[in-house]
Amino acid sequence: MKNFYIIIGVVGVAGVAVVAFALRGGGTAASVPVDLGDIGDQELVDLAQGMVYGDLDAPVTIMEFGNYQCGGCAQFASLVKPQVDLAYIETGQAKFVFHDFPMPSLPHSFLAARAVRCAGDQGRYFDYHDSVFRTQRQWSRPDSPVGHFNDLAEELELDTGAFGDCLNSDRHADVVTANATLGQMLGVNSTPAILVHHGTGRAQHLGGFQFIDIQQAVEAGPGN
Amino acid sequence: MTEPRHSPGAGPPKSRMLVAVLSLGGVFLAFYLVAYNMGWAPPIPCGSGSCAMVQSSSYAWVGPVPVSVIGLAGYLALLVLSIAGLQPRLAASRTVSFLLFGGALTGVLFSAYLTYLEAAVINAWCRYCVASAILITIVFVATIPEVKRLRGGTIR
Repeated sequence: MKNFYIIIGVVGVAGVAVVAFALRGGGTAASVPVDLGDIGDQELVDLAQGMVYGDLDAPVTIMEFGNYQCGGCAQFASLVKPQVDLAYIETGQAKFVFHDFPMPSLPHSFLAARAVRCAGDQGRYFDYHDSVFRTQRQWSRPDSPVGHFNDLAEELELDTGAFGDCLNSDRHADVVTANATLGQMLGVNSTPAILVHHGTGRAQHLGGFQFIDIQQAVEAGPGN
Repeated sequence: MTEPRHSPGAGPPKSRMLVAVLSLGGVFLAFYLVAYNMGWAPPIPCGSGSCAMVQSSSYAWVGPVPVSVIGLAGYLALLVLSIAGLQPRLAASRTVSFLLFGGALTGVLFSAYLTYLEAAVINAWCRYCVASAILITIVFVATIPEVKRLRGGTIR
């Protein structure tokens, strides 16, 4: 029995250590410098416009390549983004730019990105964006999320007819696709992917997406 | 249910030791997923595997309760039962045998259902859920000797 209790003790200590490590972030990969001017395809860059939140003239740009059906992105939206807003967006130090990054493995993510842009046509992009993330669990199921997206439009008192027409068309499909292509060209392969750019030099594609990762990148100033 | 006496000199059942060690591993695994569901853990990125999709799907919750909480409760119950079943007074207890085997069987069936959902409905895999499915399957196999104890036989 003594050996058994030793083994239980070892497994217990190892388990606590592993869980504590995972809860602290599991180790963050290093940031990768990205040259935003290195895309080459100006037509793509012009089409792949992200949605901007905050002061357009803010010196720092915090870009997110996000996916509405990704649980990690929903957590980023509810837990990290409010801290970023408070510390940097509302103080005018930075602006936030959201780029769509739908994935085939998350089958409703493309439609969700289009739905948010349809709401954006009526000037409610970020209100709808927040609602889609907040209710992700309700629509991220195998059946069609169209009804849920229409309900959200109604809740936000959008012109539901215009919203429905937009959602039932292929409007914004080219822009969403261009956003994803731009992300791939910038080396994005998972979401949420956060890039911080100080206006000059190269941007930093952060290795993590917790507030401290963004804080360190913003406070570090322009890179090379 | 009558409780047979534990024969003096018989050591604690080794299969229950295995169940205890594996269940403790399951406790940590399930606790991490509970932490993720509750927002205590950093977000999991989507891309290399679709764990975040599985965890954010409606199937990751039973009403207001995350499935991971059910898993945590199950592993804790198996851990407590298996350690209790190692004590001399309970080593031959049919009640403990019944609860251990029944609990493990329930766990493996529930896990099989969740694995089916991942494969056929959600079309995505969460590596933590797969690890838990493997763990509970081994736990279930380790509780098979409890069936013989229930029938009155003795197994070390």
